[in-house]
Amino acid sequence: MELAGSGGSDGGRMGIKVSQEIVVVAISVILVLVFSATLNNFLSQGNIIAILKNVSILGTLAVGMGFIVVGRGIDLTMVAVMVVGVAFSIWISTWGIDFTLAIICGALLAAAIGLFTGIMVAIAEIPPIFATLAIASSVYGSGRIVFASDVLYAPSNIGWLKFVGSGTILGIPMSVVIFGAVAALMGFFLRKTRFGRLVYATGDNPNAARTTGLPTRPIIVTQYVISALVAFTAGIIMLGLVTGIDTRLYNSSLIYDVLLVVVLGGIGLSGGQGGVRNVIAGTILVGILTNGMTILNFSYTSQNLIKSVILLGALAIDAIINPRDEQTSQSGDI
Amino acid sequence: MKLLKNCLLAGLTALTLLGAAQVTTAQETDQVGRSTYLESLKGKKVIFVPISQGMDLNQAWVVVWQRHAARYGFTLEVRDPSGDTNAGIRAMQGAIAEKPDLIIVQNPDVQTYARLLKQAQAAGIKVLQVNMQSATQTDSYVGNDWIEMGRLEMGELAKHCTGPNAVSHKVVWLAGVQTGAANIYMRTGIDEVLKANPELQLVSDQPADYMSEKARQITETVLQQHPDLCGIMGIWDNAEVGAGAAVVAAGKQDQVTIVTNGAGSATGCESIKNGLLDVIFNFNAPIQAEIAAQQISELLQQPGRKAGSEKTIFFGPITRVDKTNATGRNCWKLDELK
Repeated sequence: MELAGSGGSDGGRMGIKVSQEIVVVAISVILVLVFSATLNNFLSQGNIIAILKNVSILGTLAVGMGFIVVGRGIDLTMVAVMVVGVAFSIWISTWGIDFTLAIICGALLAAAIGLFTGIMVAIAEIPPIFATLAIASSVYGSGRIVFASDVLYAPSNIGWLKFVGSGTILGIPMSVVIFGAVAALMGFFLRKTRFGRLVYATGDNPNAARTTGLPTRPIIVTQYVISALVAFTAGIIMLGLVTGIDTRLYNSSLIYDVLLVVVLGGIGLSGGQGGVRNVIAGTILVGILTNGMTILNFSYTSQNLIKSVILLGALAIDAIINPRDEQTSQSGDI
Repeated sequence: MKLLKNCLLAGLTALTLLGAAQVTTAQETDQVGRSTYLESLKGKKVIFVPISQGMDLNQAWVVVWQRHAARYGFTLEVRDPSGDTNAGIRAMQGAIAEKPDLIIVQNPDVQTYARLLKQAQAAGIKVLQVNMQSATQTDSYVGNDWIEMGRLEMGELAKHCTGPNAVSHKVVWLAGVQTGAANIYMRTGIDEVLKANPELQLVSDQPADYMSEKARQITETVLQQHPDLCGIMGIWDNAEVGAGAAVVAAGKQDQVTIVTNGAGSATGCESIKNGLLDVIFNFNAPIQAEIAAQQISELLQQPGRKAGSEKTIFFGPITRVDKTNATGRNCWKLDELK
């Protein structure tokens, strides 16, 4: 975005910078206009809450993924950590351990996996896409060996879990509140803390960051621990909403949907740019799109088709707005 | 002297008789045909390629079959692709290369294994399909009558959602995987009921992919559009709990009837008791497995019969389970089957 030479940057003179985020927001606004004109109840309060509730898990995961991508990484372990972490908690709670304590143990397991991933990426220097792909598969595989069933149900008498699933604060469902809280916290962390700025520096140019004496390795390790904990939080939202966790989610396209949201929102895979706002823009667009297509009763295949065409379009727009040059090519990409 | 001779004769006769009696007893203790049966099953090799062993129905099947295998001396190996279709294809290719006496297969969809199953049959391997059929018919199929299942579930909704007291005529079909055999055949049954009850209005037909969260999202969205929704039917109890959660969250559990089918495990009964589901058409996986076990025996007992030369189909029982009978054998636990 900072690089001159495209029409987008020139637009800055008029006070509007055509970033991908703005493109996404524009597409969302158009979709809202079209859907509200053609569908009944699309703009009702209930439906808007439904949209937000339906993207709360996706959005929470995307906030964690966005955080990693900003630092020029990628975390394909998120869905595996989410399902295995939560399933582990349920599994140990069947031994008679208090459920809340079991959840804390699950969070510790998730953090440990994140720590391991971080070490593999930062210290063993395995490219993140391969490291996390392999770790995701081993985490899920270990889970499949330990837990007999794909679907594990939480005990039905846990008050706080019921509140996560069906409680509201000022009329807003808890799942949305948690998503909002995670996003706000992450936004604050990235923008306002020194650590957050270091993440941008590391993502923008890791070698330069390291040469100037920034602790890039500890930063990367911490990032993966945090994204694992965010993934675990998304798992708790799911557990609250549907009372169980289905480990087969690992086999679904969820992790790609998460990436879609991040890239769609305008966080470049080359790192160092974008933020939580982009993730929210991407999440809401996917939410509106899925909601509208579900109401219109589009078939599964056509939903996937439309979703992927939009991803491709967003990537194409990104390539036009942020053209690659020698500098960006050299600084690497995923 | 004559007395001695007579005694000897009597003794001999008695001995002969006793001997004969013993022979007869020995013949009686060996159940007719049992030794031939044992002989034909002993040392045979059976490979099972499931969709995923993580599903309740699969676990029940394998527990029953392992017991059967241990009792009658054949081996059963499970090659679990864990829901990955590509891994499933490799598992099938591996199984065919090993030339077992029988392959049991649960098809992820009607097409993926269709050619592989033909290859297996051509290679002389007998194939038993369980619950999920392929486009290729093989020696045997044991599982649900899915058309009947679709008819039963939509029929249940027709009971609640037609007539003067119905809240509306709006119903939802939460499908599974659209290319899966269960999905395709259930749809035929559903269409029959819809045709017979033209006032029923199918307002949404979306696949939840056997995932509870997807089912919850679809249901929540549909409920916003159709607050007067009358009924939802699905394809697997473990997925439709998500639909139940959305209905409960909207406070409409008394208005919306949720019907689905399932293997009959205790978790399904729990969902009925928790008010997440109303009716489960229970296809009782352990009984299905017993029927399949007898098919395994039959196919192993006929080594001379050419693979694919005779094709049979066995539909398992279907029991309607609701709050009143969600107990006992309708709610099995895996440990009880072992």
